[in-house]
Amino acid sequence: MLKKIWKFLSSMRFAILLLVVLAVACSVGSLVTQGQTYDWYAQHYSERTAALIVALRLDDAFHSIWFIVITGFLCLNLVLCNLTRLPQLIRRTRAEGQPEGALKGEGDVSREGIADPASVFARLRMPKPAPCQTGDGREALFASKHRAGLWGAWVCHLGILLLILGFGLGQMTQKEYAVYGVPGDVKPIGDTGWMLKIDDFTIGLRQDATVEQYTAAISVYSPDGGTAARESAEISVNHPATIHGMKFYQNSTGWAGKVNVLKDGEPLQAEVVCAGDFLPILDKPELVVYLNAFYPDYVLTPGVGPSTASANLNNPAWLYSVYYQGSLLGMNALMAGEELTIDEYTVTFTDPQNFTLIQIKRDRFTWLALLGGLITTLGLLLAFYVQPAKVWAVRDPDGTWTLHGQCKKGGAIFRERFEKATNQDTQTGID
Amino acid sequence: MLQVENTLFTLVMLLYFASMLLYFAFIAVKKDGVAKVAVGLQIAGLALHTAALICRGIGAGRLPLTNQYEFATSFAWGLCLVSLIFVIRFKFPVLGAFSAPVVFLIIGYAAMQSREVKNLMPALRSNWLGFHVSTAIIAYGAFGVSFVLGVIFLLRDRMRQSGFLDAHIPNREKLDVIAYRSVSLGLLFLTFTIVTGAIWAERAWGSYWSWDPKETWSLVTWIVYAAYLHLRLRRGWEGRAAAIFAVVGFVCVIFTYIGVNTFLPGVHSYA
Ligand code: HEM
Repeated sequence: MLKKIWKFLSSMRFAILLLVVLAVACSVGSLVTQGQTYDWYAQHYSERTAALIVALRLDDAFHSIWFIVITGFLCLNLVLCNLTRLPQLIRRTRAEGQPEGALKGEGDVSREGIADPASVFARLRMPKPAPCQTGDGREALFASKHRAGLWGAWVCHLGILLLILGFGLGQMTQKEYAVYGVPGDVKPIGDTGWMLKIDDFTIGLRQDATVEQYTAAISVYSPDGGTAARESAEISVNHPATIHGMKFYQNSTGWAGKVNVLKDGEPLQAEVVCAGDFLPILDKPELVVYLNAFYPDYVLTPGVGPSTASANLNNPAWLYSVYYQGSLLGMNALMAGEELTIDEYTVTFTDPQNFTLIQIKRDRFTWLALLGGLITTLGLLLAFYVQPAKVWAVRDPDGTWTLHGQCKKGGAIFRERFEKATNQDTQTGID
Repeated sequence: MLQVENTLFTLVMLLYFASMLLYFAFIAVKKDGVAKVAVGLQIAGLALHTAALICRGIGAGRLPLTNQYEFATSFAWGLCLVSLIFVIRFKFPVLGAFSAPVVFLIIGYAAMQSREVKNLMPALRSNWLGFHVSTAIIAYGAFGVSFVLGVIFLLRDRMRQSGFLDAHIPNREKLDVIAYRSVSLGLLFLTFTIVTGAIWAERAWGSYWSWDPKETWSLVTWIVYAAYLHLRLRRGWEGRAAAIFAVVGFVCVIFTYIGVNTFLPGVHSYA
């Protein structure tokens, strides 16, 4: 019983089953919108479907327990399959290079009456055959090539294992942070203890005003002056930089502006705030200004709402909300230069500028996944394009040779080539 | 340059159309000479098609592989290339007769797309994108050929035996090996596509795999063809069942290519 289970777990039949199940699981995961709430699903499908989606964890299919279990079984299957096949594979690789095994039997294709076997070997692009003897002492020739191809599937399976391992370990241990701000800002990088300073941020425009590149200059240092030195780098889209083991990406951008608060006409507060940020009023923190969005070229279309006519600062406006003790007091658009008055406070927005959002990532296993990918590719190349073949010839009593060939992967195509190559011999023989 | 491309593109469509008609004529009149002319026209079409793509590349100042039109015309190019290689290598003009309409369909789809040259957003300006899409074109071309072979395989079983068929369609066993060759070519290049795509995504978005629908569907396609290969190794599964898998696999390819775009776009924070 146990033996049967073991055998099934390491069988190719189980592999095919797992592959089909995995394909179905992935397609389900892509068809159901991921990461929404029960209410969202109830709204878009039905209550029943929503309950089912949440119960089966289809809302986060790729991290669900069943998905991990399927992948786990695939890994187990691959490990067992590769382990059980390894001794046999080593034996076969040795045997394929030796004439003994071949000479005992017939090839997949054979041809009698060959006058000049050496040139048939050459036409079949086999290496120079080695002279040897059959068990009953007859003269023979043997050549084999591309034995490495026997390892294709094995190497491919190993690569997939490493790939899954690298991806899984990465998912479990990776850390991700985001920092945004305008040049001059210094902010902590999550809980790492490192500080990130944004030295500069530029948006490179083409002549037609489309964006060519976003570039940020950054520095990373330890606030206590610590052991590691301050390091700087320039990052842009598609050109991240690695500093102190973390990778920094220029991720996206948005608008920021200076918020000036006057209290009874006296300057109280002036801070650069990014769209999406809350600004509590300095001496009355229960009063909060929230910057919803910024429109460089503001237009208000009735029925549609606010939008921007272009990316140019022709008619800049901020959409803001004001909260008092957590409840919304109001929401409106404020043009540059206009004033917003709340009790004794006057708020204005000036100096719109772009902020940068920098993403910081630490994944110690990316290299393993990449290695797995490369090994998988190597395995496929071996499996598909390095086809093991062997050809041998045995001298018959009449002085001609009987030629045998074997190339499992080549199938009908190898047979055709073999026939053509041997035909040429018998034709020249007749001449 | 783009003017030249336009003219060439029209010529390419005409040549592909003519070669398709000649391939049909070859099936109808069963004359090998007709097939030779059809292949010749298709080669001429492919040559001009290559020239058109180069013109567009020069005109746009980058690889012509970034919008729906460019990808569709390149897809047609890849299918035509792989199909011609298989037609010539395996002396198999019937394959050309079946793939020519598919090529024509795709280039027709390309003709309906906007040909405007747009500037690329920064995330798309990467050499990895070039590798990613050009390997995808070969992969899709090879899968297209295996689809056509699968269809021929399934039809062959239904057709009456005739001398013409026997002479021009390889036997089951050989058809299976040829289909295996095209699937393995496709799977190898799909692997290149996925690996280069992951490297590019890691550089551009900071994550090499994020299960977005397009990624997921390329993985589904990859798994389906891996299943095909294993099924084929099991006794009794080569042939018919494998042919059905080759057809299903190509449905996944087409879905990955067109269907997914109608769902969700990926992460385009600068778009
Ligand atoms: C994602 C999963 C897998 C992929 C991509 C994969 C890929 C491959 C490839 C490319 C081949 C060579 C096929 C050929 O030469 O025609 C192969 C062969 C094979 N695979 Fe897999 N495989 C996977 C999973 C598995 C699993 C889990 C098993 C476990 C039993 C398995 C068992 C085999 C066997 C027994 C062969 C035949 C080997 C040979 O002929 O030397 N495969 N696989």
